[in-house]
Amino acid sequence: MSPRVRPAVWLAVCLSVVGCRHGDQWPNRPITLVCPWSAGGGTDRVSRQIAVQLEAELGVPVNVVNATGGGGVTGHTRGATARPDGYTLTMATVELNMLHWRGLCPITPDSYRPLAMLNQDSAAIFVRSDAPWNSILDLQQALRDAKAPLPVSGSAIGSIWHLAFVGWLLDQDVPTGSANWISINGSAPSLQELLAGGVEVVCCSIPEAGALLTAGEVRCLGVMSDQRCPAAPDVPTFHEQKIAWSMGGWRGLVYPRGVPESRARKMETALLNVAGSEQFASFMETAGFHLDVADGASFGEFLSQADQAFGDILAQPAMQQRQSAPVGRYFVPGLLAIVATIVGGIGLVSNRGSRTTRREDESESSIDVRLLIGFVVLIALFIACCETVGYLTASAALLLSLLLMLRVRVLIAALIVLVTVPSLYQVFARALGVPLPWGWFGW
Amino acid sequence: MNDALMQAMDDVFGRPEVWLIILASACYGIFVGAIPGLTATMAVALFVPIAYWLDPVSAIAAIVTMVACAIFAGDLPTVFLRIPGTPASAAYADEAYSLARKGEAQRLLGVALTCSVTGGVLGALVLMLLGSQLAKIARWFSVTEYFWLYLIGLCCAVLVAPGGARWKAMLSLILGLLLATVGLGAAHMEPRFTFGIASLYQGISFIPAMIGLFGLSEVFSNLSSTALQQKGTHHIGSNSLATTIRQAGSDWCSRMTNRKTGTTRSGLLGVLIGMLPGAGADIAAWVAFAAAKRGTEKETDQDLVDSIGDATTANSAALAGGWIPALVFGIPGDSVTAIVIGVLLMKNVTPGPAIFENQASLVYSIYLVFLLANLVMLPIGLLAIRVGGRVVRIPKRILLPLIVLFCITGSYALNGSLFDVATMLAMGLIGYGLSRHGFPLGPVVLGLVLGGPLEERLIQSLTAAAGNPLGLVDRPLAIVLACIAACVILGILRTSIRESHSTPAN
Repeated sequence: MSPRVRPAVWLAVCLSVVGCRHGDQWPNRPITLVCPWSAGGGTDRVSRQIAVQLEAELGVPVNVVNATGGGGVTGHTRGATARPDGYTLTMATVELNMLHWRGLCPITPDSYRPLAMLNQDSAAIFVRSDAPWNSILDLQQALRDAKAPLPVSGSAIGSIWHLAFVGWLLDQDVPTGSANWISINGSAPSLQELLAGGVEVVCCSIPEAGALLTAGEVRCLGVMSDQRCPAAPDVPTFHEQKIAWSMGGWRGLVYPRGVPESRARKMETALLNVAGSEQFASFMETAGFHLDVADGASFGEFLSQADQAFGDILAQPAMQQRQSAPVGRYFVPGLLAIVATIVGGIGLVSNRGSRTTRREDESESSIDVRLLIGFVVLIALFIACCETVGYLTASAALLLSLLLMLRVRVLIAALIVLVTVPSLYQVFARALGVPLPWGWFGW
Repeated sequence: MNDALMQAMDDVFGRPEVWLIILASACYGIFVGAIPGLTATMAVALFVPIAYWLDPVSAIAAIVTMVACAIFAGDLPTVFLRIPGTPASAAYADEAYSLARKGEAQRLLGVALTCSVTGGVLGALVLMLLGSQLAKIARWFSVTEYFWLYLIGLCCAVLVAPGGARWKAMLSLILGLLLATVGLGAAHMEPRFTFGIASLYQGISFIPAMIGLFGLSEVFSNLSSTALQQKGTHHIGSNSLATTIRQAGSDWCSRMTNRKTGTTRSGLLGVLIGMLPGAGADIAAWVAFAAAKRGTEKETDQDLVDSIGDATTANSAALAGGWIPALVFGIPGDSVTAIVIGVLLMKNVTPGPAIFENQASLVYSIYLVFLLANLVMLPIGLLAIRVGGRVVRIPKRILLPLIVLFCITGSYALNGSLFDVATMLAMGLIGYGLSRHGFPLGPVVLGLVLGGPLEERLIQSLTAAAGNPLGLVDRPLAIVLACIAACVILGILRTSIRESHSTPAN
């Protein structure tokens, strides 16, 4: 061993010792909390608050990952299919009760081991402050008498707020054709659309409309619940207005099925401690979310009951029909393909003359195809193996082979790998809290 | 009113810890922004748990500073490695990198820094003076107006393409738009082109796509024996810190005298676009870049530097714009202000019209913090430029594998999913193929970013009008925007036809 290499080897040994703080105590490495919604939203805020407090409770870092997209499909699928070692938590939302009924993903509440329910938020009906309706009954009458469908929104088609709205109309025998639900992604843009005059009614929860409600820009006609919302105590409930209809969303923490029961129980206790704490209660109150804590068993019961109820509503013809889109789902891609063919055709014809000249200078900088294929194969191998082997091992192997392929001397290559890979890991995993895959050696 | 101002002055300038927080978050913002794959939004989201322990003024100071710095720092990897650090830099990635290869990297970054600062200060001034009036404009925008606005943004990508290659830019754009249709469409809530793969339901995430298209494809095109012999990616003049500062200063002065209209235009464009929920710094950069490049037929390097300067002015100004609807209505202008509203609610501050009366000193503090953040960015940004310059002196055969590792880790970081790494690899190959045949890559990214919202807005507008296409032009503002879009499209067609007549003659 030459003296130039020795310090590098020591460095590697030290770093691996730092990485391997193995103990019998569970948990001994960072926990990932999958949030199916994007950063900045209500669910994300609750997730991050839980993460901060859980970190103090368990003594290991808890990192929030926003696995967004597909109206909750991505996050819920990822949480359910994660390795059941207790290191992946999921912040499940009401969509878990709905996605599988709509045939969007095979994940049902049974795919999860419920740990703790955190809150329930009731749906509410909002109108502009200058709207002619003063109570929910006025609006209901207006919907009955409507000659043209009233534009309504709150979130995407098939979302919880759409379901709550249609469920109310069905419950009161108001023809569902009297409202035209415009699929807008999210409650904030729907409220913006309400202000802009694009829709007349918005159905979403009270905390989501908090600022506009306090500012008097919008009015709330009623909360779909039997008790008033503590964040807006002046708003009457549906039940006070003689409409026995309740509907709302919930949030709760779940484990994938198959996590060892001892770990699940430990996590459940920790989560209930967090959810029952003064700090969490005051957080939920300032954010306007309605705190409703339940332990794993009662959360599970609630889930299976709610699942049945949602299944019934979603089976209604009003929810089934694709009332929304005036154009089919392949209309826009088809249109784009046609435009692309036209533009490409014109371009090829008009550029035929200048083509020959360009080909000459291209051949000058021709690349080494073997290297290109090697790079692609190595990266593909990394993708295939990273999850099992672990980030540090896989990326060290990748970097080393790439360097050797470009004929860097072995010693220099090894030195570069030893310096960059652990420091990159420290930056991403420790400083930025990105949960890099762990793998065989625990790092 | 003046009491509130004095109180704000005291809150911001009078407390050493606020200064420290601003300095620390400037460094943090530069660091996160310079890593491809980590966006300004990510920087803020990671900071939220810390914000709980800070008072509102410090928390806002930190967020404003880190976002401003992250957006500027996105230019660093763009110039040195052609990997846009944040989506806001994608508009001019190709142009900036080609200039950097001619040895202009330091100068270009100097211009980008001073222009970012100018844009940030301009944005802050507009926010201060016109904030509540401008917020009323944002209220007029319904889905139909957004449709036209996005369409104008898309046309800009074709407009900035060099003459003769417009059809290629257009095809790149359509490729991006088609890629954006993959996944669970928001308007239909039905999967398209997913082939039963669950990971494709969320669509093709554009940050891994962007890293692949620009970063990995550049690595691929350098894999030839001649290119590997070179020392670094490009030549960097070995000038001292003093020369960099002097150069940046003189460039800024000449911009201030010669391009007053360009700077003002980009600043205002930035604020106006940033103010609209759903359009942010990235679209602002595209539109300002297109507006600056318009009309220059044969462009010199100086023209390019000026256009890039305009684009960086706009993307920094857009940040201030995002705060206008957030403060006035509590509706976030972009994803960063969405988090800010959350943090403010935490502190028992409810954004909305009442904030200007009840908590005027906090509003003034936000204004002051905007000015301060942009000034702090100047020295820290200069340091970052100097440090960044060292990266490209690494021999290529060592640098390329390192870039690959960074691309992989960066695309993994966003969602923590290996599927994103696979997306990055696929887009790297596509990007390599495209740029080899002279297709620009920027429009692909823009198509990916805007494709989803554009289709969504189109279908929402049509739904609202019960399927009648005339519903797209039944509001006064929509008609105005439609006319602008039509003019831009006609302009593109006219110049394209003129060029196709003149090319055979050559």
